[in-house]
Amino acid sequence: MVTTEKGVVDDWLSEFKILPEASITNYASSLKERSSLVSAIYEVIQEPHSELLEPVCHQLFEFYRSREKLLRTFTLQFLPELIWCYLSLSSGRDLQSSGCIEALLLSIYNLFCNHVLEPRTYLKREKILRNLNVSFLEIMDDDGQSKIMAFTIPSLSKPSVYHEPSSIGSMALTEGALSQHGLSRVVYSGPHPQREMLTAQNRFEVLTFLLLCYNSALNFMPTVSLRSLCQICSRLCVCGYPRQHARKYMGIKNRVPVSSEFMVQLLTGIYYAFYNGEWDAARRALDDVLYRAQLELFPEPLLVANAIKASLPQGAIRGTKAGTKCIQVEITPASSRISRNAVTSMSIRGHRWKRHDTADLTLPEELTEISEVDEGFCSRAASSSSQSAMSQSSSSGSFSRHPLGKAQRRSTGGRIGGKERDPFGDSCREHLCRKQNQRALSENLELVSLKRLTLTTSQSLPKPGSHSLARTATSVFSKSFEQMSGVASSHNPVSASTAGTGAGKEKNRFSACSLQEEKLIYISERTELAVPGKHQQCQQRSPSICITLSTD
Amino acid sequence: MAAKKAGSRLEVEIERCRSECQWERIHELVKQLSVKLISNDDMAELLMGEAKLEQYLKDNPFKQGVSPRGPRPKLIDVRKHLTAALDRGNLKPDFMQEANMIMAKLNYVEGDYQEALSVYNRVGLDDLQLVAAPPYKLRMIAEAFATKGLCLEKLPLSSSTNSLHVDRDQEIITCYEKAGDIALLYLQEMERVQTANIQNRSPKPGPTSQDQELSFFLETGLQRAHVIYFKNGNLTRGVGRFREILRAVETRTTQNLRMTIARQLAEILLRGMCEQSYWNPLEDPPNQSPLDDPLRQGLNTKCYALSRRPRVYMGENIFCPQENTEEALLLLLISESMANRDAVLSRIPEHKNDRIISLQSASVVYDLLTIALGRRGQYEMLSECLERAMKFAFEEFHLWYQFALSLMAAGKSARAVKVLKECIRLKPEDATIPLLAAKLCMGSLHWMDEAERFAKMVVDCGEKSSEFKAKGHLALGLTYSLQASDASLRGMQEDLQRKALLAFQRAHSLSPTDHLAAFYLALQLAISRQIPEALGYVRQALQLQGDDSNSLHLLALLLSAQKHYHDALNIIDMALSEYPENFILLFTKVKLESLCRGPDEALLTCKHMLQIWKSCYNLTNPSDSGRGSSLLDRAIADRRQLNTITLPDFSDPETASDSSSLSRADSPLHLFVSTHLPLSPPKSDHPLKTCVDTELSCGPPDPRLRSIHATSIAASRVEQALSEVASSLQSSAPKQGPLHPWMTLAQIWLHAAEVYIGIGKPAEASACIQEAANLFPMSHNVLYMRGQVAELRGNIDEAKRWYEEALSISPTHVKSMQRLSLILHHLGRYSLAEKILRDAVQVNSTAHDVWNSLGEVLQAQGNDDAATECFLTALELEASSPIVPFTIIPRVL
Repeated sequence: MVTTEKGVVDDWLSEFKILPEASITNYASSLKERSSLVSAIYEVIQEPHSELLEPVCHQLFEFYRSREKLLRTFTLQFLPELIWCYLSLSSGRDLQSSGCIEALLLSIYNLFCNHVLEPRTYLKREKILRNLNVSFLEIMDDDGQSKIMAFTIPSLSKPSVYHEPSSIGSMALTEGALSQHGLSRVVYSGPHPQREMLTAQNRFEVLTFLLLCYNSALNFMPTVSLRSLCQICSRLCVCGYPRQHARKYMGIKNRVPVSSEFMVQLLTGIYYAFYNGEWDAARRALDDVLYRAQLELFPEPLLVANAIKASLPQGAIRGTKAGTKCIQVEITPASSRISRNAVTSMSIRGHRWKRHDTADLTLPEELTEISEVDEGFCSRAASSSSQSAMSQSSSSGSFSRHPLGKAQRRSTGGRIGGKERDPFGDSCREHLCRKQNQRALSENLELVSLKRLTLTTSQSLPKPGSHSLARTATSVFSKSFEQMSGVASSHNPVSASTAGTGAGKEKNRFSACSLQEEKLIYISERTELAVPGKHQQCQQRSPSICITLSTD
Repeated sequence: MAAKKAGSRLEVEIERCRSECQWERIHELVKQLSVKLISNDDMAELLMGEAKLEQYLKDNPFKQGVSPRGPRPKLIDVRKHLTAALDRGNLKPDFMQEANMIMAKLNYVEGDYQEALSVYNRVGLDDLQLVAAPPYKLRMIAEAFATKGLCLEKLPLSSSTNSLHVDRDQEIITCYEKAGDIALLYLQEMERVQTANIQNRSPKPGPTSQDQELSFFLETGLQRAHVIYFKNGNLTRGVGRFREILRAVETRTTQNLRMTIARQLAEILLRGMCEQSYWNPLEDPPNQSPLDDPLRQGLNTKCYALSRRPRVYMGENIFCPQENTEEALLLLLISESMANRDAVLSRIPEHKNDRIISLQSASVVYDLLTIALGRRGQYEMLSECLERAMKFAFEEFHLWYQFALSLMAAGKSARAVKVLKECIRLKPEDATIPLLAAKLCMGSLHWMDEAERFAKMVVDCGEKSSEFKAKGHLALGLTYSLQASDASLRGMQEDLQRKALLAFQRAHSLSPTDHLAAFYLALQLAISRQIPEALGYVRQALQLQGDDSNSLHLLALLLSAQKHYHDALNIIDMALSEYPENFILLFTKVKLESLCRGPDEALLTCKHMLQIWKSCYNLTNPSDSGRGSSLLDRAIADRRQLNTITLPDFSDPETASDSSSLSRADSPLHLFVSTHLPLSPPKSDHPLKTCVDTELSCGPPDPRLRSIHATSIAASRVEQALSEVASSLQSSAPKQGPLHPWMTLAQIWLHAAEVYIGIGKPAEASACIQEAANLFPMSHNVLYMRGQVAELRGNIDEAKRWYEEALSISPTHVKSMQRLSLILHHLGRYSLAEKILRDAVQVNSTAHDVWNSLGEVLQAQGNDDAATECFLTALELEASSPIVPFTIIPRVL
């Protein structure tokens, strides 16, 4: 360390000791401007064998213990660097030098817990300095015995300052929302008992909590601290991995263990750093967190890091010079940019589905009922509904010429052709009808989705006036059936192979037959589920489908 | 009379058209108007001027950020109309004001800002009445304020002094704020009038109302104020302005705006604010805040008043967020519900753009939701939110992946695997996804075949960076190793163990700095009893990661296998100093202590464990205040489980993985249901299961019906179900809550019982067993221990009965088999004893005491050669036998 810097730190160590009580406030506010002091302290922390480390740690703790908020902030800004030093030293088993840093971290942690646990002294302090750590008041119960940090999960089913449940409509009342009707208070950190020492077991519990506290004061942290947070995060994540060489980090070669909650807390700080002047450092840190989370197979940091990455503004901010805050908004068009005739989940709800007796969308009654409760859709429903809707794109052309690229569509093209051109293929039709009926009767999710996608189809189509349109609709309808069965047997080699026979009619018919025959196996498994009575009823209706088919 | 009535009806109609901006209709209405009275001429001029101007603006809409461009030939007409109306001065003062405002607007459109401003000054915008004004008038006033703001922004500063600059800024912003407030008022009024009309079945219940769109001026008025605030770095005021707009009761027209603004405010709350700088929407903002640019500190409170304000959400018990994450979450949920409503479902090419727009606006919201909920660890809720996003998700990798990860984080493993499969399809080149799936499969799900498939995917896939490849080999090795533990045939077991060893070696050589690779290599060597080699690798692992509890544990077990019990105990003590609450280590410690330091020490440790258990799980209980909120309970339970994640069934290594898995992810419902199909391996298409199981858990079709794992998983499920049923009959027994702590407690009692049995105190032992039995009356371990006590008391018949019962619950419980066969041996039923022992050897070929018993039985039958072989095997195995089986160390990716 250069002697001048040592001098700066020495001065700092001595001046506070002789400082009169009255001038502490002024002193505290003057500290912020002393950038040479801050960088000198950083160097002391980074140099584990420095003889100054111990007095500096002690002084930082004195600051932290003081009543002056600015002094506490001053200490807190070194927290990321302190955490890194502690972790890197302890992973290198250098317990000797990490001792005083460990002690500092532990005392800060215990002091936090103290604040939580001893409300009376804390409240007094609160009166003296009104602005001090407001958030800690909230984590105490009435009797002041709280040991946990909790927050309220807002719910759309309760009126709030921003909404009324009625205006949101039933959209939000999904199963999940109903199960948690009303507000619930949830613990997100704690309880935090006092700790006497850091062990491998409690290490990340303590550090995560410290980061949580750091994050709750992010607005008060200087950019140097944010940059150091990003840097230590990068180091923490790549040390001991091949990427370390790419990043050219020297020093420790061991991997530093991390916990997933700790990484999530790091990401909170990184996210803030992105938009508050440390774009480049944050970008690197984010990449490294992703890298590490992938290798550790931690879903939580992966989730958050992916979300942060995806929500970064594209390129726009990169140009702005480093060190500037970039929280900006622009005027956005107030009207919906979605064209009115597009089918949305809103518009589809308002639609009344009529049953055309002769036409395309003959659906058993049961299905229509199911469709009314289709809000709790399943993922498969969503994907396959979009599938079928997409298939409308080919509505004007002949549908036997489907592109074969899409894997899910493989099984469909051939069968439609067959079905359409083979109105008298009795066995086929019978199978088809039976299949439809049996499916109709088994009330499972696939059916709900099936229903949904047929609805989608009909809505975005013009009225089924001309017969060609009706034909299309039928095809889509049947296709959607195939879609569902395609899901069930996506690995069916036969369906894959027959898909290629787009052109030949004969072949189509053939493949359709064979396919449906194959489906029989699948169907027969389901027959037990079908109620016989309903089965009859549906079979009577099935000819209407065939009539439509023969219009061609 | 009739004429007058007609006239007033006409006026009402005109007013309606002006409010609803139906300018085409004005033309014909004006014609009717001029017919009526000559004095209407001026009015007609005014209306024609307005209609033509507005029509022009509708046809040539302004764009944000584009300045008006001088006089327009098409607007000459407009000016003529307005001048005519103004010059004659016959209009009522109200209408004069209107004409002036239209004139000013025209001036702005033509780029004459100075003139526009002077007209506004003449009119005196601030004095205009808002109370009882018709909606169209509110719209005009709002637009006038917005236009004034635009003009002020355009004018060059007359003086460059800074204070004036600030004043000017403030004036501009105030104009916009007023414009925005009045615009909101106008929209609310419009909606009120329209709903009233619909209810009264008034002539034209607006098909037009659907088409209502915000004009450029209203849009600017609503949004420009906060844009300027943020540009100037005044976050406090900007956030305040956002909140004001959002507090106003929504109208159909503002829905989209609210969706955007809610999202933007949430963004700012998450990106630029922290808990300590937060103030809630009903509080006054702090005067000084680190949020604001220190150079531009101004007043943080509003500095204008309006005679009428838009309605805001109010009420007795409305929810007001108390923290920035809460507010962000609330806003995002609101935004999400609207974005979700706009999901474009049709997939025809014409709607491609719409689809992209709706997807984008939704995925931004979902990403922010992820960030907010991730901060608070609410993955359960997140997975529910992301499930709603699935209607956008067709072929969208990001949404699928996030959904899968959220399911994983929420502990919904079975479903997560299914979604991950879709992710693999969408992005086959990403090695992380199959690894995640493999982790889930070999963890709580125990779908070993699937796990193997996923791991192979990573290994087989072409060039990848070495660290991922190493992870793939590690996964593969773990799969083989776990499969080997499950396998029932010795040949198969050995084959799998060899494969596992190979895979671990590959992993280790690919990634020499990974302590896990070295550790699992050591563990695998230990399981196949290559003790010295294992010691070498576990030392390597410890060099890479000095305080890894599993490595330390393995080292201790290896030392105990070499019969260095004291060293082993020292290692365990060292490990415990780092992991004082790790029950697995403590259990091993009890065993070692009763060997080295005598039963008293061991009993002390048991007592200590009970204390730890109490402090661990009692500490969390005070949160009983929040009982009923299941989330709270779950959050705590999950956290606790992370600390001591695996707690296998100790005396029975084979079921180790099951019991820990059961306690982790499966819902009690799941447990209960699946226990109705005992002893048959989980079958996917069982009707009962498929309809009750909430997690879509069509387990992997496990064909190996004879797998030990299958029987033991069934056994431990039976155990649990029976115990649950039995203990629900006694009201005192614990029922709710995670299973895991209770299993730990039972294990502690059983360990204590074992120590008592070791020192020949049957009374104390059975008291301990009774404690465990209160928790799990039907556990085979409990039954086995009862048998031991009975043996100690000399009740051979009773002991036999207990062992048989234990075996009826867990047919592969090796210890019970061994004890039972010993008794049978004493009873002289050699062949049955031999049969049972042979079965036991099949199950666990490294249990030396089983080999020994088998030798004895064979000897008693006179089969000396075979007996000798058995004894030799037993001797050999005993020499490398650890104090507890190596397999109690959890094997997870």
